[in-house]
Amino acid sequence: MPPDFWRRLTGTRTREPSRALTLTAPDRESIDLASYLPARLRKLDTLPERAAPLDAQTRVEVARGMNRGAGVLAGSVLFDSAIEHYRGGFHNPAMFFPLVSSTLSIIASASGVGDNTPSVRRERHVAYAAAAATGFAGLAFHAYNVGKRTGGFSWTNVFYGAPLGAPAALVLSGLLGVAAERVRDAAPGQRPRLYGMPESRAIAAVTSAGLAGTAAEAALLHFRGAFQDPFMYLPVTIPPVTAAMMAAVAVDGRPRKRPVTRFLLRLTAFLGFAGTGFHIIGVHRNMGGWKNWTQNIQNGPPIPAPPSFTGLALAGLSVLKMLERSRRE
Amino acid sequence: MSKDHPHADTSARYPDYDVLAKWNTPSWNDPTRAAVGQRLQVRDEPRFLSAERFRILKAVCDRIVPQPTDRMNKIAVAGLVDRMLEQTESVGYRRAEMPPLREAWQRGLDALNDEAKVRFGAEFTDLPAGRQDTVLELLQQGDVRSSAWGDLPAQGFFKHRVLHDITVSYYAHPTAWNEIGFGGPASPRGYVRIEANRRDPWEAEEKQGAVHHGD
Amino acid sequence: MATDDGMTAPRAVSGQAPDVFRRGAWVPMRQYPDSEEVDFVIVGTGAGGGTLACKLAEHGFSVVAMDAGPYWRPLEDFASDEAEQQKLYWRDERIVDGDNPIDMGGNNSGKSVGGSTVHFAMVSLRFRPEWFKARTKLGYAVDWPIDWREMWHYYTEVEQALAISGPVSYPWGPHRPRYPRRPHPMSAAGEFLASSAEKMGIGWSSTPIATLSAPRGLAPPCVYRGFCVIGCSTNAKQSVLNTWLPRALDANAEIRDLAMVSRIEMGSRGLATGVHYYRDGRWRFQKAKNVVVAGYAVETPRLLLNSACAQFPDGLANSSGLVGKNLMPQSNHGVYGLVDQEIRWYKAPPSLSITEHWNYTDTGKDFFGGYAYMSQGPLPTAWAGSLTSSRGLWGEKLVREMEKYNHQVGLKIVGEVLPQEKNQVTLTDEKDAYGIPIPRITFSYGENDKRLYEHAVRFMSQQMEVGGARDLFVESDTAHLGGTAKMGDDPRTSVVNADCRSWDIPNLWVCDGSVFPTVGGVNPSLTIQAIACRTGDRIAEMARRGELTRRTTPA
Ligand SMILES: Cc1cc2nc3c(=O)[nH]c(=O)nc-3n(C[C@H](O)[C@H](O)[C@H](O)COP(=O)(O)OP(=O)(O)OC[C@H]3O[C@@H](n4cnc5c(N)ncnc54)[C@H](O)[C@@H]3O)c2cc1C
Ligand code: SF4
Repeated sequence: MPPDFWRRLTGTRTREPSRALTLTAPDRESIDLASYLPARLRKLDTLPERAAPLDAQTRVEVARGMNRGAGVLAGSVLFDSAIEHYRGGFHNPAMFFPLVSSTLSIIASASGVGDNTPSVRRERHVAYAAAAATGFAGLAFHAYNVGKRTGGFSWTNVFYGAPLGAPAALVLSGLLGVAAERVRDAAPGQRPRLYGMPESRAIAAVTSAGLAGTAAEAALLHFRGAFQDPFMYLPVTIPPVTAAMMAAVAVDGRPRKRPVTRFLLRLTAFLGFAGTGFHIIGVHRNMGGWKNWTQNIQNGPPIPAPPSFTGLALAGLSVLKMLERSRRE
Repeated sequence: MSKDHPHADTSARYPDYDVLAKWNTPSWNDPTRAAVGQRLQVRDEPRFLSAERFRILKAVCDRIVPQPTDRMNKIAVAGLVDRMLEQTESVGYRRAEMPPLREAWQRGLDALNDEAKVRFGAEFTDLPAGRQDTVLELLQQGDVRSSAWGDLPAQGFFKHRVLHDITVSYYAHPTAWNEIGFGGPASPRGYVRIEANRRDPWEAEEKQGAVHHGD
Repeated sequence: MATDDGMTAPRAVSGQAPDVFRRGAWVPMRQYPDSEEVDFVIVGTGAGGGTLACKLAEHGFSVVAMDAGPYWRPLEDFASDEAEQQKLYWRDERIVDGDNPIDMGGNNSGKSVGGSTVHFAMVSLRFRPEWFKARTKLGYAVDWPIDWREMWHYYTEVEQALAISGPVSYPWGPHRPRYPRRPHPMSAAGEFLASSAEKMGIGWSSTPIATLSAPRGLAPPCVYRGFCVIGCSTNAKQSVLNTWLPRALDANAEIRDLAMVSRIEMGSRGLATGVHYYRDGRWRFQKAKNVVVAGYAVETPRLLLNSACAQFPDGLANSSGLVGKNLMPQSNHGVYGLVDQEIRWYKAPPSLSITEHWNYTDTGKDFFGGYAYMSQGPLPTAWAGSLTSSRGLWGEKLVREMEKYNHQVGLKIVGEVLPQEKNQVTLTDEKDAYGIPIPRITFSYGENDKRLYEHAVRFMSQQMEVGGARDLFVESDTAHLGGTAKMGDDPRTSVVNADCRSWDIPNLWVCDGSVFPTVGGVNPSLTIQAIACRTGDRIAEMARRGELTRRTTPA
């Protein structure tokens, strides 16, 4: 891990715009996902904006925080689907898509994190949108695959069939990334809306749903593991509370300090990494331990999965920052 | 430990597979290497049976589990059966009409040879393969004429001793595992992909036969 | 130092026993001198004896449990090799006869600390409740002297102790608490049973099985290596060896490996005084207040019969004349076939899926009793054994057939066999290495038994066909012996009472599969262990009430 990893992750340092990636000019009229939402959902359009507009610098900071979150999520997906689809022998060429897409999402996120300018880049936007689309397709595929197994949506099949969590994480990475671009992109003084909602509330809602979903996936898999270790209860207790707090943020949407929520988000972010540590130990507890890694990496607890929590929590922290900054105005 | 590992002949159906190539991988543990290593050392030489009976046994083994002519290192099946007899007094039971394990083999081989003489006027080992098969078929049907059988049931000897002991010895050998595509020893490493038409990289790839690769 | 292979010299000596979870390691063990009259000496440490040793020790009794077999450390002693692992089986000579002589050895019983559970296939099923009242409720055989609701309680205790992995809800029978662990992923072999059962319109389930689907202490989860019936080298399998016995040691029980008991000694007051046993090159005598025989359905009657003395000339606990009688295996017929897919049935525990349809359905049957069947996965030499014994194949034909190994599937029953007195264990004149008479095991199927397995073979063949298998063939086989010291509530028609206490000798107990009055259509070990748990609790209760030394009376 590079020495400034944590600082970068928690966004405590601003960096010079990265020149590593030379991308083309920003595009303000890029894909508006909201226009794809069904009409009923678009009623959300009427939700009031309760926060004051943000200055450009804050926007960039917030956007970079969200890029970070989207990147961590994509990283989790990349490694998780690499292992899972290797296990599946890549017998369907489509099994390469999430690898490509999550890699692009990681590159886009790195570019975003390193970009201190208030201008979007079309490539990032496209990469994120593609991630969301790939994730949605993956969700459908995985659900179909589980359903067609003998016994349909039985416990055994949802335990061991294609997981919904991984493609969902890719969707979340994409949605958060697109949101990051929109946040970055808004003209000064503007109060943009996202997915039909006021931006901060929209991101809070996505984060909340993501945390809840990821916790549900952890609950399923930890139930499969019979909660044999008490620590296995952590991801099914803390993140759901965090998700509830973020849901409250989405509903409430007022610009104010939220120390409890912030603490929970930080805890959840930490939990994501701790989870990876626990899973590394978990692999060791399988027969032959790490010496038998060719088997245990695949059969043991998924090492790359828990950081999904971290990615979502980072996005959540960005929302809090947005609401706090807009309060100060 | 040396990185060298023993080799066994591969088969037509699984041409790229030698289970012994996994000798130094997590698929094999020490007790397994010890047990199979000993088996690989066994040569077609008698330790328990007399030389005469061993020659008959060897000829019988060649008919019960014929080995491909192009096999470089043939499985010493008779040697394995002999070693089993040397080390074991019983497989845990015997039918009331059968004598104990060792005695059954000794008497059975003598009677089988005498049956060959009675039927075809020659030692079993001197008969052409087709005639040897005929003798074995007669045993299997219980249609025997030699008085050497005494109270030893020929059919029982053939089924419980000849067929059982010889095939079990043959299929305990890595070369036979290659032949049938058996994953072989698997500890500490077992398997990840246990669903149909899937295999782990450390399993045999089938090249021939009625393989259907559906999803 | 001589090689410590577990077989040449006893390991559980000098105040320590092998630590089954660590290579070369030891755990402390309490030891009792032969001259100390311990509360209980138990003969056999398998499903019955090992479980009871734990329960009695945890209730505070002094316990010495002996086993003729070695004390293994699976991690360092078990090879992934069928031939080598024959060392787990009871290979002392036994003579089999009758119309349907039973294959013993590896097919049937073990000789290890932990008994046959060291190499069992881990299928852990509860009886159908009605079977405990087979005569009253279903009109055949006899009733048990135990109520099913009490058994339901003890089944739960055993399932927890073994951390059984099972389906989230089991489709047959009355409610049972959730299995402690979740089901395993389905293997290709198991999936064949499942999908073909759906085509037949009958239910199927993941099999409740005693191997871990998630780590437990020092035991890792199953790695799907598929060598279960020749011993699990990972400790994922929850056998008596790595569940009840470590607990027994913790509770101060002593376990004596490589200790072969030849005779139970009777005292002048009509009570057993201890056992004669051979260990480490010499004959010894352990004094005890109570003797429990738990040597498996063959060795148990053998020991009782061989302990005949002037006072009990027909053998101990044998006033009913039923010791050794009513021997029941389970029919174990299988149907095998060939499919296009690569199944590779050597992977994973063989019986990951099951149907108990014909245990719980009473219509459409021309027989009493029931059967379950499960997916199969024989290892190469076992498979060669099936092809030679069932089809008589040899030569080129055998070799060609064996090459199809990776495309084979199979279904095999565990079928109920009804008790008949003529099926029995007796002693012969031939002696074994210890000078103990070799047992003779006589078995012939009855008419009902034949109708049952013929029904099963027909039904399974149909299922194999709709499932897409071809070139079917049938294997006749038997498994799981029980019944040779049956329990009941009448001293004239049973050997022991519901508490496994012999009617004739109040301090002599039998606690293993021998006590089954009927065997039902499921594998027996969960029931044996549940009975052992119950017996342990009952003994503790009787001791509290001062009834241990008093004579039993019929209920
Ligand atoms: C291959 C195989 C697979 C099986 N699979 C299953 C399964 O999946 N599910 C299931 O429920 N059951 C299964 N069984 C059956 C199950 O293992 C037995 O029914 C059960 O273990 C019997 O318990 P027991 O207490 O009667 O005897 P055992 O468990 O056999 O224990 C008897 C012990 O007593 C010892 N002993 C005997 N006589 C003496 C003596 N004189 N002195 C000292 N020690 C002695 C023996 O060495 C042995 O260790 C299987 C059996 C086999 C062989
Ligand atoms: S398949 Fe599982 S239970 Fe069976 S031997 Fe392997 S690890 Fe043990």
